[in-house]
Amino acid sequence: MWILSILSDAAIHTIFGLGILGTIAGFVLGFIPFIKAYRLAIQVVALLTLVFGVYLEGGLADYKEWELKVKEMEAKVAQAEAQSANKNTEIQEKVVEKTKVIREKGRDIIKYIDKEVIKKEEVIKYVENCPVPKDIIDVHNQAAELNKGATK
Amino acid sequence: MRYLLIALLLAGCSTTVPVTQKFPNATPELMKKCEDLRKIEVDKVAITEMMKVVVHNYSLYWECSAKVDGWQEWYNAQKKIYDEIAK
Repeated sequence: MWILSILSDAAIHTIFGLGILGTIAGFVLGFIPFIKAYRLAIQVVALLTLVFGVYLEGGLADYKEWELKVKEMEAKVAQAEAQSANKNTEIQEKVVEKTKVIREKGRDIIKYIDKEVIKKEEVIKYVENCPVPKDIIDVHNQAAELNKGATK
Repeated sequence: MRYLLIALLLAGCSTTVPVTQKFPNATPELMKKCEDLRKIEVDKVAITEMMKVVVHNYSLYWECSAKVDGWQEWYNAQKKIYDEIAK
């Protein structure tokens, strides 16, 4: 209710209170001369004020309830954001570590080829006698670029 | 009087107070693109040299695989966290 953002809680309670007081005045205190003179007008205005006051009080109660729910939700969202950030850090560390291990293992295997495999007699003979044919290299290179055809 | 009546009639109109929820940030490591596989750039090459390129490419595959695993874990974790809010 937009009107709740304009009226303060005190104003709403005052309208409701005036409505009650006016209704009592208009219907119960009719014997007082001043009230007796304007009785009908007081009754009409007081009843309208009371109805509006009750309506605003209801709206205010509902608004307060929703405000509590919003605060509860904001707290949950803040907690979720913190959890999300923690999880991100955890995943970041895990992926960085995994990538590092994979790279190191790859380098180790390449070093092993350079230091050990290349010195083996059987391998030396094979390298001297059997260079890799160009067709095989082309096929390898085509396979390495399989993704290029799919890129638009 | 007319304006007062309009104001009273519109008193019940609702106003929304949205609770904004930020889309979770992705892990920076996962945002890095997977590298292209290496090609053999010469026409004649020894099997050992070719093997080194193949090993390098296998490493690139497993690095990329680690990122995909990371993305899957990221998605599942974020979904779990944000499903908790809706409860």
